[in-house]
Amino acid sequence: MPMIIHSSSQVPRTTLFRRFPVPRNLGVSASSRIAPGRSWPAPAGARRVKIFDVYRYDPDSGNSPRLDSFEVDLEECGPMVLDVLLWIKNKVDSTLTFRRSCREGVCGSCAMNIDGTNWLACTRFVSETRERPTIYPLNNMRIIKDLVPDLTHVFAQYSLVEPWLKTSTVAPESERLQSPDERRQLDGGWECILCFCCTSGCPSHWWNADRFLGPAVLLQAWRWLMDSRDEATGERLDDLEDPFRLYRCHTILNCTRTCPKGLNPGKAIAGIKKLLLERRS
Amino acid sequence: MDRKLDAELLAMTNRPRLRSPLGRARGLGSAKDGVAAWWLERVTAIALVPLTLWFTASLLALSGGDHAAFLKWLKTPLASLCMVLLLSALFSHLALGLQVVIEDYVHSWAKIPAIVAARFACFALCVAGILATLRIALGT
Amino acid sequence: MSTSSGRPLSPRLQIYRPQLTSVLSFTHRLTGLIMGLYAVALVVWLVAAAAGSQPYSSVQTFIHSGVGQVLLFAGTWCFFLHLCGGIRHLFWDAGRGFELSTIYVSGWIVVAASAVLTVATWIASWMLSSSR
Repeated sequence: MPMIIHSSSQVPRTTLFRRFPVPRNLGVSASSRIAPGRSWPAPAGARRVKIFDVYRYDPDSGNSPRLDSFEVDLEECGPMVLDVLLWIKNKVDSTLTFRRSCREGVCGSCAMNIDGTNWLACTRFVSETRERPTIYPLNNMRIIKDLVPDLTHVFAQYSLVEPWLKTSTVAPESERLQSPDERRQLDGGWECILCFCCTSGCPSHWWNADRFLGPAVLLQAWRWLMDSRDEATGERLDDLEDPFRLYRCHTILNCTRTCPKGLNPGKAIAGIKKLLLERRS
Repeated sequence: MDRKLDAELLAMTNRPRLRSPLGRARGLGSAKDGVAAWWLERVTAIALVPLTLWFTASLLALSGGDHAAFLKWLKTPLASLCMVLLLSALFSHLALGLQVVIEDYVHSWAKIPAIVAARFACFALCVAGILATLRIALGT
Repeated sequence: MSTSSGRPLSPRLQIYRPQLTSVLSFTHRLTGLIMGLYAVALVVWLVAAAAGSQPYSSVQTFIHSGVGQVLLFAGTWCFFLHLCGGIRHLFWDAGRGFELSTIYVSGWIVVAASAVLTVATWIASWMLSSSR
C-alpha cells in the first residue's frame, strides 16, 4: 500500500500537497526571502535533461538568497543527487557550494532538504526524485553559503548533554565490562552520524531552536543514559528534565520519518520521558 | 556616546551577542522540573476517555428530550458525579494544553500574561460549570 | 532568537513536505484548541440549564438551528479526531508503536475511525430523536 511507509528510505509515489498551504513568506524576515534566480542551460549535446531548482546564497554579493534552475544531463552524471551537484559544480557553475565527504552515507556532511524532506544527497537516487526536484539546505539553519548551514548552535546543544562516559569509580585494569544484552541497549543510538536531518525537520525545533535540544541531541542523550558503564544517569536526567530542553517534544515524529540511517529518535525521547517518570514513582 | 561606541562594536564583530555558543545553548540551565505537568496531562487524558464517551452517550440518550427530562437526568447521583469529574478533568487538561501551546508560539513579554489569563479562564469556567451542575443536582 | 551575523535563515514550513506525521500532529493540536472552545460552550449550556427553562430553550433553539447543527457536527468530528489521536499519543507515551509502519497504520486508523464514529453518532442521534 503506497500510503503506508515501512522504512524511512521509502519515497512516496504521490503527494497530495508539496508544501503546507501557507503564504510563502509567512514570518520570513526580509534578509531570508528567496528571490527567483537565474536559469543555467545544459551544455550543448545534452541527452537526458532534468531541471533541478537549487537554493543559492552568496554572502559576498550582498543579495538575498535565490532559487537557481539547473538543466542537468543525467547521462553524464552518477545516479545520486550528490553526483548531480558535483556535475553542476564541475560543468556548469563552479561557485555552487555544499559539504560532502564519504559519498556513501556514513559521514553526514551532505545532509540537505531534497523535494521537501531531509536526506543525505549521496544516498538519494535521482530516479526517486520529483519531475522537477528542489534542493534546499537543512531547514531553520543560518546559511553560510549556498547549501552549507551553520551547525554551531546544534553542536553546542550536543556538547551540552556531555556525550562521554562519566564515572566516579576508579578505572579497571583493562576495559569496563559490558554484557552482550547491555551492549544491545546502545543499538539504535551509536549509529547516528549527526547529520541533523531530524533536528532540522522537527517543527518544535523550528519554533524553539534556542531552548529545545532536538531529536539528534536527545537521541545521543538517550545513548548515554542507556550505557551501562556510565555512572551519571541521575545527573543526566536532571539536566534533561526541563519544559523546553526535553518537553518541547510533542511526538510529532518527523524525525523518525526522515532519518537517513533508519534510526528512531522519537522512540528514544519517549524512553527518556518514561525514565523521568519512573524515577519519581 | 556609549551607545554609539556599542553600535560600532556590534557592527565590527557582526554579532548582536558575544556569548559563546555553548553558553547560549546552556541558557539558564535545566529547570529540573517538568514531569509533573507532563504526567498530569496524561492522567487527565486517560480520565477523559471514559468521561467524554459517557457524555456523548448521555447526549444521545437525551436527544429529543426537553428541559425537564434533562434536569431529571442530571439530578441522578451518577450523572452529577460524572459531570463534575468531566468538568474538572476537562479544564485541567485544557489549562495544561493551552500552556504548552502558548509556550511554543509566544516568546515575547506576552507569554506569562497569556499563560496566567488562560489558567484563570479555565479555572473560572470549571467552577461555573460545577456550580451550575450542583445547583441542578441539589436544587428542587 | 534574534537574527545573528546577518546570515539568512533557511526555509522551513514554506518548503517542507507535509507528511502524515506532521499533518496529524498539527490536526491533534488544532482539534484540541477547538475542543477548548466547545468546553466553553458546554459551560454556557450547563449554566443556561441551571438558570431555568427560558434560557435553556433559547440555547437549545440555537443548537437546533442550521448553524448550530453544522457547528455540532464539526464539533463531533473534531472531538473524535482528538480522542482517537489522543489514544494514539497515549500508546506512544507508554513506549509502544514507534516503528514507521505502525506509525502510518495507526495514523490512517485514527483518520478512518474518527470519520466512522462521527457518522455513527449522528445516525444514532437521528434515529433516537425521531423515535421519541
